[in-house]
Amino acid sequence: MLPITPTARLLLIEDEQDMARYLRKGLEEAGYSVTHSNQAQQATQLALTEHWDVMIVDRMLPHEQDGLEIIKTVRQATVQTPVLVLSALASLDDRVRGLREGGDDYLTKPFALPELLARLEALIRRANPSTSSTIDSRQLKLADLTLDLLSRKAERAGQPITLQPREFKLLEYLVRNQGQVVTRTMLLESVWDFHFDPGTNVIDVQISRLRNKIDKGHSTPLVHTVRGVGYRFGLDG
Amino acid sequence: MDRIWHSVAFRLALLCGGLVVASVLVLSSVFYFVSLGLLARNIDSKIMSITEKFSEDAETNGLFVLAQRIESTLSDGVDSDVEILLLTNALGQKLAGNISGWAEQSTPLDQTMDRVVQRGDRFVPSRVRLHKMTDGSLLVVGRDMQDLSEIGSLIARAVVIGGVSAMLLAILATLVFRHQLERRIWAIRHTTQEIEAGNLDRRIVLSGTPDEFDRLSADINRMLDRIQHLMEGVKHVSNTIAHNLRTPLGLIRGHLEEALRGVPEQRKLEEAGYFAIGAIDDLIVVLEKLLQIAEAESGARRQPFEPVLLRTVVTDLLELYDAAAEALGITLIVDIEGEPTLPGDKDLLAGILANLIDNALKYAGSPADVTIQVRETAQAVSIIVKDNGPGIAANERAKVVQRFYRLNSNRPGSGLGLSIVSAFTQLHDGTLFIEDAQPGLKVRIELPKLLAPTL
Repeated sequence: MLPITPTARLLLIEDEQDMARYLRKGLEEAGYSVTHSNQAQQATQLALTEHWDVMIVDRMLPHEQDGLEIIKTVRQATVQTPVLVLSALASLDDRVRGLREGGDDYLTKPFALPELLARLEALIRRANPSTSSTIDSRQLKLADLTLDLLSRKAERAGQPITLQPREFKLLEYLVRNQGQVVTRTMLLESVWDFHFDPGTNVIDVQISRLRNKIDKGHSTPLVHTVRGVGYRFGLDG
Repeated sequence: MDRIWHSVAFRLALLCGGLVVASVLVLSSVFYFVSLGLLARNIDSKIMSITEKFSEDAETNGLFVLAQRIESTLSDGVDSDVEILLLTNALGQKLAGNISGWAEQSTPLDQTMDRVVQRGDRFVPSRVRLHKMTDGSLLVVGRDMQDLSEIGSLIARAVVIGGVSAMLLAILATLVFRHQLERRIWAIRHTTQEIEAGNLDRRIVLSGTPDEFDRLSADINRMLDRIQHLMEGVKHVSNTIAHNLRTPLGLIRGHLEEALRGVPEQRKLEEAGYFAIGAIDDLIVVLEKLLQIAEAESGARRQPFEPVLLRTVVTDLLELYDAAAEALGITLIVDIEGEPTLPGDKDLLAGILANLIDNALKYAGSPADVTIQVRETAQAVSIIVKDNGPGIAANERAKVVQRFYRLNSNRPGSGLGLSIVSAFTQLHDGTLFIEDAQPGLKVRIELPKLLAPTL
């Protein structure tokens, strides 16, 4: 679960001291170099003047300040640092606003740290596409698995795999994010575009059906379960 | 005094009273001036015509004939008590008439005017007209106005008495009106004060006459009924929520306490930690669902309603739940006719269907068929999710939409699924029916295609 760049620089804008301490610890353990600010003006300055790989912005800041204002200012200055918005405001409306104002991802409090880490990793990866070398516009490849993006067909070791359209989309997402941890909510949001709790373990069942089609009869599994967090797709467990 | 002035009833009554008095005054003065004025004008023209007639008579027939005529006029018994006539020769000597003479030399001629004239032994207010003839003789024609001025003062007195009594009546009416108004308003205020003090079940007592106040009171009573109903609902909900949060919190606490008791063991701590995280995550989900319900029930739309293609929504959901259904041995059947479209929030409509499918997967048993049916008419779209499982007993059907109500508490679940369905349906102005699929459960949602305008 290490970030791609050796020590990714992360700007954490969060006013709640306890939360900030806990986040800093978790993020540093995951290999980030964390700078923390609890104050909107200072944070905006930092965001504009220094280079960051990713920013975490809490929406509710002291003195009635909305973290979205920081993002707006930063985006107006054409700084494209990926931003993850943290908020206790859970309604879909707030989410939509958070993303519209320039946030790249939105996570509601309370959240699980692994979920946050997985989403940060995905954000950094998305901002630096050159690091995923196997991707071109027509074909995705991982070991002996090939996805033809035009004909929407997949095969492993030369054997065609029968996939339904949504299964293909799921597999495509996993391959594009190979090596990274993807959580169930990330899959639900990215592959199905749903933003609610679907109740039963539908995502787990989807993954296990896909795993059956991809890994059955092959010695090296590509789909790995990360306990309590989600899944990782790739050669190494 | 200040308080009285601020009373609407008082001001209204005062205004009405004032208007009554003013109209009485206007009416009387019009009557006064029209009637007396007319009499006065008649008298003036009569005086003028007599003067003309007599002076003509004198010019043609001589003073002697006129003197005789005056004498006969005064003795003919017609108006003799009010007539004033005098004829003098050029020297001022009286030739005929009922007044002794005209001493005042400066009196303007040929003008009808008010003068006090001596008749016999009394002085009377009169209208008189003097005419000097070519030979220098003087003719005085007039009328005693004593009776008219008496009528005038009679009318004036009547006006004053009438005005004063109208004013008194207006004041009385003001007081009565104000009292009535205060009494009715007091009934309302009394009730609102009691409600303010906490007696939420108090209602305004109606007078029985279906007047404006009774209608207003009935409206207020209806509003209070609704508020009380909502308050009870809120109370019930918060009680249930508190109750349902206590159990998992107690469990988390117990597990952590147990793990820390005595010498903490790594394995025990880890287990308790994982248990706590899992239980807290479940609680977060419950809270999120409660917030969703509250948000929907508040009636506020999160985003403007837009036409939603139901086939797309159903297909998306099917591709999410198909694997789970397969694993459970349940067949999902989609039955959509045409391209049903309705104005709504796509995510909420998906939420409705997801909860219904999730319920069916959980409770229909295995093997089972779950059918998702969508039908469209000109006015409405009906969404039906039915299974051929055990169904829900008729007496339980109304209860399952209540928050936290669960038919079988041994199965996992929050007891909020159908509450969410119900709240989201209501937000779309729809109606939820829980029916018997014979066998199985049939949940039918009727959604209008034309929404009532929002405020």
